[in-house]
Amino acid sequence: MFKVLKGMRGERAFNGATISALALLVIFFVGIVVALFSYTDWNTFISVLLSHEILFAIKLSVATASVATIVSILIAVPVAYAISQTEFPGKDIVDSMLDLPIVISPIALGACLLVFFNTPVGAGIDDNIMKFVFAVPGIILAQIIVICALAIRLLKSTFDSIDPRYEQVGRTLGCSKPEAFFKITVPLARDGLIAASILTWARAVGEFGATVTLAGATAMKTETLPIAIFLSLASADVDKAIAVIFVLVIIAIAALLIIRRIIGRRYVI
Amino acid sequence: MIKIKNLSIDLGEFFLKNINLTISDREYFVILGPTGAGKTVLIECIAGLHRIRQGEIWIDGNNVTSLAPEERKVGYVPQDYVLFPFLNVADNIAFGLRQAKCSRTYIEAKVKPLVSLMGISHLLHRNTRSLSGGEKQRVALARALALSPKVLLLDEPLSSLDLQTSKYLRLELRRIHKELGVTTIHITHNQTEAEEVADKIGILNMGRLEQVGSPDDVFFYPESEIVSDFIGTPNILECEHCHNLGQGLIEVDCGGLNITVPHYGNMVRRIALFPRDIYVSDTNPPGPQVNRFKGTISSIKSASAVVRLKVIVREKTLQAEMPYDIFEDMDLKVGKEVFLLFKMKGIRVYESKTLNEGETNQ
Repeated sequence: MFKVLKGMRGERAFNGATISALALLVIFFVGIVVALFSYTDWNTFISVLLSHEILFAIKLSVATASVATIVSILIAVPVAYAISQTEFPGKDIVDSMLDLPIVISPIALGACLLVFFNTPVGAGIDDNIMKFVFAVPGIILAQIIVICALAIRLLKSTFDSIDPRYEQVGRTLGCSKPEAFFKITVPLARDGLIAASILTWARAVGEFGATVTLAGATAMKTETLPIAIFLSLASADVDKAIAVIFVLVIIAIAALLIIRRIIGRRYVI
Repeated sequence: MIKIKNLSIDLGEFFLKNINLTISDREYFVILGPTGAGKTVLIECIAGLHRIRQGEIWIDGNNVTSLAPEERKVGYVPQDYVLFPFLNVADNIAFGLRQAKCSRTYIEAKVKPLVSLMGISHLLHRNTRSLSGGEKQRVALARALALSPKVLLLDEPLSSLDLQTSKYLRLELRRIHKELGVTTIHITHNQTEAEEVADKIGILNMGRLEQVGSPDDVFFYPESEIVSDFIGTPNILECEHCHNLGQGLIEVDCGGLNITVPHYGNMVRRIALFPRDIYVSDTNPPGPQVNRFKGTISSIKSASAVVRLKVIVREKTLQAEMPYDIFEDMDLKVGKEVFLLFKMKGIRVYESKTLNEGETNQ
């Protein structure tokens, strides 16, 4: 087959195939958005969007995702740095294990958390320190479990791209190891840190599987935006579901635009 | 003074084996060796970037082996300079001084003469990304020197520059060294660069220090085949008598070969000639009969694009080199008589300042 595609004919065929794939995908996305618009009654949309329940879901999603992102970045920065810049026995295994939350279904992760909180240690934490199961802290924990791995992966690639000689030069210029990290590596990783924060926050806002398993789907209590969609569809309230879907789409687009705006093309996602 | 005692380190691909080295104060010391010899590892060890388990490093009488890089007072300029891209030129240079909590007035007083010495005063507010290779090198040098280090470590500082800039900056490095007098260790794989800037050269190969000496010592008295091979296997001839020809020329008698060489006023002890600087001809070409000798080919070895011939001339074996295509055209064989022509420009002279008994230098 490849013999037939030699020369300019092959080049044209190859370019045609790749551009066709791109065009199909764009048409598919545009089709979905057009379907949403055509299905929406805008008066109902506005009233639903301003309803008490949806405003609660927006506030809860923004708040929990923000807390989860801050905690995840604080965990991901040292972990990603350790994996990227230091050598230790079993590094490959640890590195692969950190990717597990990315490949495992979020519902399974939520179920694992639920099982943990049914063990004596987990139940002790849930009863005496902080209530996670079917409570708001459970939403944050579920989001952290899902987005932390993503933050680690994004930050690891950022730290991988930083030449360790920057820190070495910093050390010869009088920096201790922590000073070299904060004064040299962190400014060098600025773009990656911003991109990782925005992407993980957007991912946390959209998190559903682990959240619904651990924190449940209780209206006006643990009702984040994806749970609001789930509850609306479950009660056949399509207008409400569409309003929330629009909010999630706007958040996603805004996140990507902000990354482009702040970082430009210097950071490749 | 820097003293390295029995230093060994194994980093897998790169290693050092039992390095012993003394570098005097204000000396410009060049570590010369092929790629993968362990040159960078050696200066990284001096900078404190590797944990040393075997051997010791002393700087100015202090054992710094277990000290962190920030405690060693060394200036380090890595390959490609590694300027901080989030700081402009001025802030890059002042980074170490700010780190040392120096006052703004002190920083200004320190940076001003340094940037003037480097000729980069006009670049202070520039972004480091917009600098040329030569400018980056000067900024990195100024940054390393701002803290007045006891030792300056330069890792292949000219390797990423074009030939012209590199040639110019060699002179600049010498000038800056002369002016500041800081003990400098410069690593390179470039023999010409080493000879031009070094007070002393250390040849490093496969993690071992093969020879240490002045550029002339290393060139004219290679202590091992490895060193000789690395510097290009020159033909080295002992000179017995000299006869001044006037007009800046001297005729030296090297075991029956009378060779005319440039004369700088001193006694010629040895001459060296690279195989590439000896032309081979199967007939005696016309022209002045200076520095041409008849000999017999004793061996022929081909290596990729060049062919190396061993030619016996008056019981001396000389090595000559020629491109493979020219060799093919000439139909040369072992036992065949050929003429060797020494390229005058390529003759290197080792001189001694005193005349020994029985030597004439008229």
